[in-house]
This record gives sequence, structure tokens and C-alpha cells, in this order.
Amino acid sequence: MKISLKISLLLIILIVAILLAITKGSVDIPLAELLLKENWQVLYLRILRILVAIIAGSGLAVSGIALQAILRNPLAEPYLLGTSSGAGLGAVIAIILGISSIYLPLAAFLGAILSIILVYQLAKQGSRIPVQSLILSGVIVSIALSGIMVFLISVSPNEALHGIMWWLWGSLQFYDPKLLLLVGMVVALGTFAIFIFSQDLNAISIGDEEAIHLGINTETIKKILFFITSLITAGIVSICGVIGFVGLIIPHLTRLIVGPNHKTLIPASCVCAAAFMVICDIFSRTLFTPLEIPIGIITAFLGAPVFIILLKIKQAVK
Amino acid sequence: MDLLKVDNLCGGYGKETVIRDVSFKIEEGGFLGIIGPNGSGKSTLLRLMSRVLIPQTGKIILEDTDIARMHLKDFCKKVAFVPQDTMINFSFNVWEIALLGRIPHLRRMQWEGRRDFSIAQNSLSLTDTLHLKDKPIDEVSAGERQRVIIAKALTQEPILMLLDEPTSHLDIGHQIQVLNLLKRLNRQNNLTIVVVLHDLNLASEYCQRIILLNAGKIFKEGEPQEVLTYQNIETVYKTVVVVNKNPISFKPYVVLVSGER
Amino acid sequence: MRKINFIVALGTGLLVFGVALTRSVPAGTVPSQAGTIPVKPRYISLAPATTEILFALGLDEEIVGVSSFCNYPLKAKTKEKVGTFSQPNVEKIISLKPDIIFCTGLEQTPVVNALRQLNLKVYVSDPSNIKELLNSIRDIGRLTGREKEADTLINKMEQVLGQVNVKVKLIPPEKRLKVFIEIWHDPLMTVGKKSFVDEVLTLAGGINIAADTLQPYLYFSPEQVIKRNPDCIIQTYMSENEPLKTIEKRLGWKEISAVKHGRVYNDINPDILLRPGPRIVEGLQELHKKLYP
Repeated sequence: MKISLKISLLLIILIVAILLAITKGSVDIPLAELLLKENWQVLYLRILRILVAIIAGSGLAVSGIALQAILRNPLAEPYLLGTSSGAGLGAVIAIILGISSIYLPLAAFLGAILSIILVYQLAKQGSRIPVQSLILSGVIVSIALSGIMVFLISVSPNEALHGIMWWLWGSLQFYDPKLLLLVGMVVALGTFAIFIFSQDLNAISIGDEEAIHLGINTETIKKILFFITSLITAGIVSICGVIGFVGLIIPHLTRLIVGPNHKTLIPASCVCAAAFMVICDIFSRTLFTPLEIPIGIITAFLGAPVFIILLKIKQAVK
Repeated sequence: MDLLKVDNLCGGYGKETVIRDVSFKIEEGGFLGIIGPNGSGKSTLLRLMSRVLIPQTGKIILEDTDIARMHLKDFCKKVAFVPQDTMINFSFNVWEIALLGRIPHLRRMQWEGRRDFSIAQNSLSLTDTLHLKDKPIDEVSAGERQRVIIAKALTQEPILMLLDEPTSHLDIGHQIQVLNLLKRLNRQNNLTIVVVLHDLNLASEYCQRIILLNAGKIFKEGEPQEVLTYQNIETVYKTVVVVNKNPISFKPYVVLVSGER
Repeated sequence: MRKINFIVALGTGLLVFGVALTRSVPAGTVPSQAGTIPVKPRYISLAPATTEILFALGLDEEIVGVSSFCNYPLKAKTKEKVGTFSQPNVEKIISLKPDIIFCTGLEQTPVVNALRQLNLKVYVSDPSNIKELLNSIRDIGRLTGREKEADTLINKMEQVLGQVNVKVKLIPPEKRLKVFIEIWHDPLMTVGKKSFVDEVLTLAGGINIAADTLQPYLYFSPEQVIKRNPDCIIQTYMSENEPLKTIEKRLGWKEISAVKHGRVYNDINPDILLRPGPRIVEGLQELHKKLYP
């Protein structure tokens, strides 16, 4: 099947998913009625959620792709470099200081950025960032910051910290349109920037030295991509909490569908991730209504079987 | 015409100096072999020549330009590198791998054009791997993979090709196949070749000139019969050998002498 | 050069971020308003305590949605559920088109923020003592047009408070009992000075053995309980076991005065003791009776 056909198919799935997401929810309102003025609030709510899902999904997936190429490690995912723990710590501190109502996203964002800077400084050797030390530093910083966060939660039985649970498992409930626009722009620009580096990513995924032999300034590119993915991930985490699994699995899933060439992989992943997130959102809102299951749990429960099925199909074809 | 000139080159990894004060020249259309015992600095020298490593002192001059001053992509339009072995974790297919060689010639957002496709196709047929073009790279044999990597290097349309032990993982049939291909490219397309080999006889058969490295310095440089003498080999490799003549090509032929009988 | 670009970009990003933030969330406090109360008002209450207050003010039809934890009065159970206490469903809430949503702070803060961002009217009540509770009843009365009922309720509550106060004054300080309030057993949790329950305990004539801590709710060390030797232990959670039997088994607790004299109680309905609502005065009375029968 031609790649353009595959991408079109993915787009159709995305559109269907969006239509479903608009109509399904804790209250069932048929599509025609949704356009009535009295239901605009619900419609507005759902559209916001869909936007958050699309932004978070494509941002995390493309960041995952970039990191998997830079670190040449198929297990790499956006939170590997400490963003989730840093953001979590920032959020917890904001809640403890009592400023969480307004400043939670900013605190989480700062926490994420600071942890990335920490990881970068730890991993640096001269002017190079060796892949091994990046992964190691990321893991160490993640564990350390998580430890501090858990310590703070246990020492201060502030009941507001119960709210941190939803955040740690991800939540698409974000209703501030201005901030969403800002993060959306950051994610869109970052994703587009990564797309521009497709050629470099192709070369780097063959090997660091190999990439140099093809004329790619690997160290510079690595630093730029590192910066961009960190910005994207920090932005998403600060408004949605930690949504795991998407940044790890969607790149692999899309690679199974369209192949590893980043020029097609990146656009296809955006569509695939967006569709995936919207579908997960539908489930999170409808499975045990009116209770909402945190989106991170759904992405795990849905992503794993889908991936296994696709893998088995691919293996059978061979 | 000198294609490449290496002047008083010193280099290594970090503060370590592996290559000490090495100087030599390569003519256009030359076929140079670099041999030496393990740890003598062969791979390091090649890495310095391919700009993976930066020299501590000294210069490398390609066609009258110091390579350190060249834009990396411009350098890679002229010089291609074939590594010893590549493990590729992502399943690009053979065709896509070959096309990667066009990267130095393409701007970042430029898509490959018809000319790029025909060059890639040509390289694959030269290396006898065109029939594999849709196969994923992680499904071909080691020998085929090595030939695909050479095809990728050819797609760069280089004037100089550097190869780091391209035959060490190949059986004798494939070794001959690869080196015959290199010899053909050298003769027909005037491609200058520098190849690091650990098999002395292969070096003797195929290389016009040989550099024998020892502890980071050039021990001897010249044509095979000048370099491959039993005295040179015994001094550098610290093992007893006998040097005969290959009955077909009359090139020096190194016979190893086992210590145990 | 690259590093400077990095820092500049980061700085700009943070600046824009901060600016966007400060302009995004409207300052929300109690909606004080000269506006009229709608003809057919619709209220949603996300806190069991507030639900009780609303019903106590005589509202019923007007209450269109409650949390799944709102169980008193019985009528509350028949109302539409909009989610749990800590996880209210925003979509459900707005589909019910409420005029005011009554919440508490703390755990519900994220939801409060979300609702305010959607331009809904939210009233947050989080009383940490009786005075604040009475004030919030007054506020709720004003918001719902039930000032008269609110005053009546407050008067009734103050009456009970006065009665208990008189009785407590008669108890000499040396006879006042040291009490340990056990909110949860595993891990051991109690209430500190700043909590609502602590005030109720004091008004009932008891002395909280954990009164030297400032946090409202905290993990407490079992050894400290032994050391401080309370005269009475009140467990505020439901459990079927005989409280005395299970507590005796705890290491070293047999020596505690409360355990030795069998003064361990878990039969005060936690809802009337822990909820800052109209029934808190009942809780106060019961607690007083338990301490000084």
C-alpha cells in the first residue's frame, strides 16, 4: 500500500474519532442537537478536550521519535530525560505553597525545564553529549526528583495533594483557552522544527559517526533536538500531567505502518497519535461515567494490545 | 596530482595521542592500503581523515583545501566512508539506505529527485545488490550488508573513498568480490581509495601503495614489495614470517610461520 | 553563540508563558453580586457538608446535582450524581446548567479552577472553625435568597453551642479528659490544632493530645500516643470490630489509660463529627456525652 494512502487512512480514522468524541460523553447528546445554543457549553468543553488530546498526542509522539533517533534506543520516550519527575515536583511544590490554582502549570513547566538542565549538565562531557550518559543522567535525575516528590507528599498531608494523583496519571481536563493556545503553538512549532530535521534524523538513526560521514553536524543537531523535545514535553506535561506510553508506542506503531523514514514517519505519527489520544479520551469519559478514568491508564490499556496485534500481523506477513 | 596530503598529523581521543606526526600523500586515482598491528592507530588515522576526529596538530589537505576549513557537507560530497560493520536498529530497506548517500548533496528540506534515484540505482547495480532493494537492511546477510553500505558510499559520488576493514567479517569469496569491485571502481571511475586492511596478502594484491603503521607512526611507506619484507613484518608484528611471491601476480605473499610444530 | 540563543529563547518562552498565565484565570472569590437570583435557580453541591446546609435552608427542587458521597438527608441520594467528591465530572456539571456550584477547597481545587475557567459561578467553602462555618452558612443563605432560613439555622446551632458550653464550664480543668482522635488506623492519623475537629473537641471539653502540632491532619506515631496517655480514644471511621479488642492488640497500647478503662469509642457517626455542616452541633453533643456521661 502506498504511503500516501496509508496516511489518508489514518486521517480518516482521526476524523471519525473526533466526531465520536464530540458526541459521546457523560451526557449523550446527538450531533444535531449539539449545535443548539443551549448545548454550546458542552460542545465547547468537548472540543477543548479534543484539542488538548491532539496537541498532547502529536507532541509526545514526535518527541519520542526524535529521542529514539538521537539516543538510538527504541525504548527512549519523552519522559526519559527527567521531564515528568521535574514537572511533578514543581506541581507538588506549588500545591504545598498554596499557589496551585493559578501557578500550577508554570510551576510544572519550570520544574520540567530545570530537571532537563540538570540532566544536560550531568551528561555533558566537554562539548559532546554521549548517548549513554544522557540516558543514565535522565534515569538518575528522574529517580532523585521522584524521591523528593514522594517525600514531600508523605511529610505534608495536605489534602490538596490528593489532587496530584490525577495529574500523575494524566488528564485532558484543561479549560484555559489562552494557555492552551500558547502551548499549542509551542508544540506545533516544535513538531514542525523536528520535521525539518527529518534528513538529519534519518542519518543519525544509522549511527553517530555515520551521520558525520553524511555531512550532519551531529553534536549541534543533538543539542537542538534535545532543546526542542524538552520544550515540547515540558509544555505538554505542565497542562496535562504525565501521559505515559504515547511517546514510546506511537513511534513504533507508526514505523510498523509507514516505515522508518522520518520524512513520512513524523507526519504520519502526528495523525496516528492524535487519533489514538482522541479514542482514548472517548473511553476515559464513557467507560465508567460519570467517573473519568485518567487518560494515562487508558493509553496503557489500549496501546499495548493494539501494538501487539500489529506486531503479530507484521510478523505473519514475513 | 596530489588528491590528499597529510602533514605532521597528531591526533587521538581526548588528551590521548594515538597518531604521532604522520605525513604522507595520495595521488589522484591511487589505491592506498593501511596496515599495522592492533592498536597501531589505523582506525584512528582513518577517522582523522574523515573528520570524525579533530587533529591535535597538523593538517589534512584535500585538493588544496584544508579539510578542517571545509563545510562538513561539502567535504562529504567528495569523501565517503565505509565503516567496519554497521548494526542498524531501524528497518530501513536497502533502497532507502542507498539513497541516504545523497544527503550531502541535498538541502535539508529537499526531496530526492530523478537524478538522485538513478545514481542510487547505479550504485546498487555496481555492488550487485539491486535485486535486494526492497529488503529491510536487518534481513540481509553480512556480506550483502557490507556491499549495500559501499553502495551508499558510492551514491555520495565521492572522489575519495575511505574504508575501515571492509572485509573482516566476510568469507573469502565475498572478500575477493568486494576488493575486485573496489579495484574496478578505482580503474574505471578513477575513484581514489584508502583502505585499512588487516590481511597483509589482500593489501599486497590490491593496493598500489601501502603504509605500514606502528605505534602511531609510519614505519614504512611504498609499493607492496618495498613494505612487505620479512624484516619489516617481523619488527612490527613481532612474529616470524616468510615472504614469497604470489605465483599468479608476482606480488609479495606473506607466509606465516607457526611456532608450534 | 548557540548557548545565548538557547537562553534567550528560554527566557522569552517563560516570559510569554507567565504573561499568558496571569491573564488567563479570573480572580475568583465569593461572587458578591448585586445581581438577582434567578426565578428557578439551579444549584449543584460537590461537598456532602454543603449539601446538608442547602437542604437545611429549605432548598430541594433547586438542587439539581450532588456528589456521590452526599448521603444526607435521604432526599440527597435521589439527586443526579455528578461524580465523586474528588473527581467531579465537569461535563456532567455543565450539562445540568447550574447557576451556582458549591465546592470545598483543597482536593477540589483543580475542579474549581476548571469551572471558573469556563466562566461558571463557584462558591468555595472551606471552614476551619465553627465561626467560619457559621459565616459560610450566612453566605450561602445570601446567595440562595434564604437569609431568613440561614439566620434560623445559625441561631439553632448557636443555642446548642451555648448549652454545651455551659455544661463544659462546670467541669474543672483537672477533670478535663485527654483525648486521642483517630482518623485512620493504618497509617495512624489524627487531627492537629488547626483542624475543625480539634475545635469541636475543645468545645466538648476535651483536650486533644495532638494539639501541639500545627497541621490540620497528620500522621501520628503510635509510640507518642502511648507516651501521652489519653483518657479516651475516639475512632472516627466505621469498622465492625469491637474497637477495644483490636486496639488492645497494638503493641504497648494496653497500658494506655483509655484502653485500661475501656474508654475507646467508634460509634459516633463520623459524618456528624467530620462534616463542617449543620449536624456538627449534634456531633458536639454526642462527643460531650461520650466524654462526660
